[in-house]
Amino acid sequence: MGGIMLLTRAEINRLRRNRRYLIFTVGLPVVMYLIFSKAGKTVYGIDFAAYYMVSMATFGAFAGALNGNAIRISEERKVGWIRQLRLTPLPAYAYVVAKILTSMAMTAVSIAVVLLLGRFEGGVQLAMWQWVVIAVIVWLGSTIFAALAVAVGYRYPPDQAQPITLMLYLVFSILGGIWFPFTGTLGNISKGTPTFEAITISTDVIRNASVPAYLAIGLVVWLGIFAALATLSVRSMAETV
Amino acid sequence: MSYSGTGPIVSFENVSKHYGSLKAVDGLSLELRGGETVALLGPNGAGKSTSLDMLLALRKPTGGKIQMFGKDPYHAVKSGSVGAMLQSGGLMPEVTVGELVTLVAGLHPRPVPIETTLRRAGVADIAGQRVDRLSGGQTQRVRFALAIAGECDLIVLDEPTTAMDVETRRRFWASMKEEVAEGKTLLFATHYLEEADQAADRILVINRGRLLADGTPEDIKKRAGAKRMSFRLPGADQAMLVGLPGVVSLETRHDLVQIQTDDSDATLYAVLDAGYRPTEIEVGSLGLEQAFLAITAEDDRANGAEPAPVS
Repeated sequence: MGGIMLLTRAEINRLRRNRRYLIFTVGLPVVMYLIFSKAGKTVYGIDFAAYYMVSMATFGAFAGALNGNAIRISEERKVGWIRQLRLTPLPAYAYVVAKILTSMAMTAVSIAVVLLLGRFEGGVQLAMWQWVVIAVIVWLGSTIFAALAVAVGYRYPPDQAQPITLMLYLVFSILGGIWFPFTGTLGNISKGTPTFEAITISTDVIRNASVPAYLAIGLVVWLGIFAALATLSVRSMAETV
Repeated sequence: MSYSGTGPIVSFENVSKHYGSLKAVDGLSLELRGGETVALLGPNGAGKSTSLDMLLALRKPTGGKIQMFGKDPYHAVKSGSVGAMLQSGGLMPEVTVGELVTLVAGLHPRPVPIETTLRRAGVADIAGQRVDRLSGGQTQRVRFALAIAGECDLIVLDEPTTAMDVETRRRFWASMKEEVAEGKTLLFATHYLEEADQAADRILVINRGRLLADGTPEDIKKRAGAKRMSFRLPGADQAMLVGLPGVVSLETRHDLVQIQTDDSDATLYAVLDAGYRPTEIEVGSLGLEQAFLAITAEDDRANGAEPAPVS
């Protein structure tokens, strides 16, 4: 366990120094919040500033978990670092575990920054339990994308992982209603995405409504699917990493 | 602390690895004993890397059994008994050499002091540089540093000096001798015959996934006919020449006779005893290279194939 923590610490140090990663996970949601949080009045029955806070927190968390991992894993597989690591006393699963822990540590920071911005810049007023529930839902929701990133990174070489990741990023951002909420047919499709589910659970919590069970079940199902895909990728690539 | 068991450090029992119809490793059996320095010598595609990959639990054998320190490869590697450097192994990007060596040492149950590792691998002067900005030779030395970052009993190296210049190669083998002097067992794959000859006290020649020869560098040279002899003998009788003691191969052109022999003295005396007086007698040692080529070419011919290129 000590070894996994050492590796995780090294991974966190790498990401902290990576400007591109910080721009995607912290910079972009913060800038977008500053620009757009006062753009609307109410959406989903809550103040727009509160909706947009949840939306941008989800955006930073999911983009960080996906972009920060998929292409990096693919590149580290290509250069042979994963192979090198397998020659150390670290157990075989340590690499993936450290990636997911790192991703969770980094998204915790980006979520905290956006929520603080919502509170002090957007003037969002919530009870303590509501802040905690929103943060935890978005945070745990981001592991869904960390799992997806492992599935993509292990399966595809960097030149394929890059466009695939970009496509997934756009699909889950736009269809998930992160940049603007959907209505009508697209709104119905949107309801099936994990990004939408995480945001809607949060907005329901904010307006003190009961959260429909299907939203929570949806998140768990997505996590199950992507974790299974990740496991398949890691297993099938075991001899070629 | 070193391995206290009485059995071999490494054993392959009839190990094979097939990729479809390609037999990369084909019924390989071998044993390594403690303290040996062993070279795995073979042309490209002989199955060296595949064998080492299986030994290090990176690939699973199709058949047969591999053991290291009496354990299966995975658990032997995870116990920290093995330090390894592979051609295909890479470095974590975006960190400095010092940070990377510190990380890998920290993963080890018996870490070696960082300064010692940096010095032995010859990377102390580049400890502050980022690993993704190193030259090929520097990268190779950092890989070596990672292999020796923990106290281990067996070091496995796959073509360790590829991409190294002559001076770096010399220093590499000097620091390798330091490791061996501590009682470590060393197994390295190479296609540099000179390297196998100078560094190893035992050579395993493999070709097409099979073990062709196993012995000291002297044994290997002897096996292919250790001496090359030539002389001029007008009107030499072919049958007499073939019947000479020790002769491995024979070639005559006009009155020039060229013989490969594993006992040059006996061969020459027999020529003289038969009453011949050859002129321009030359006797020379057959290098390991010729021995190696002779062994693999013989194997390739036996398989009805073109000899594998040596590069």
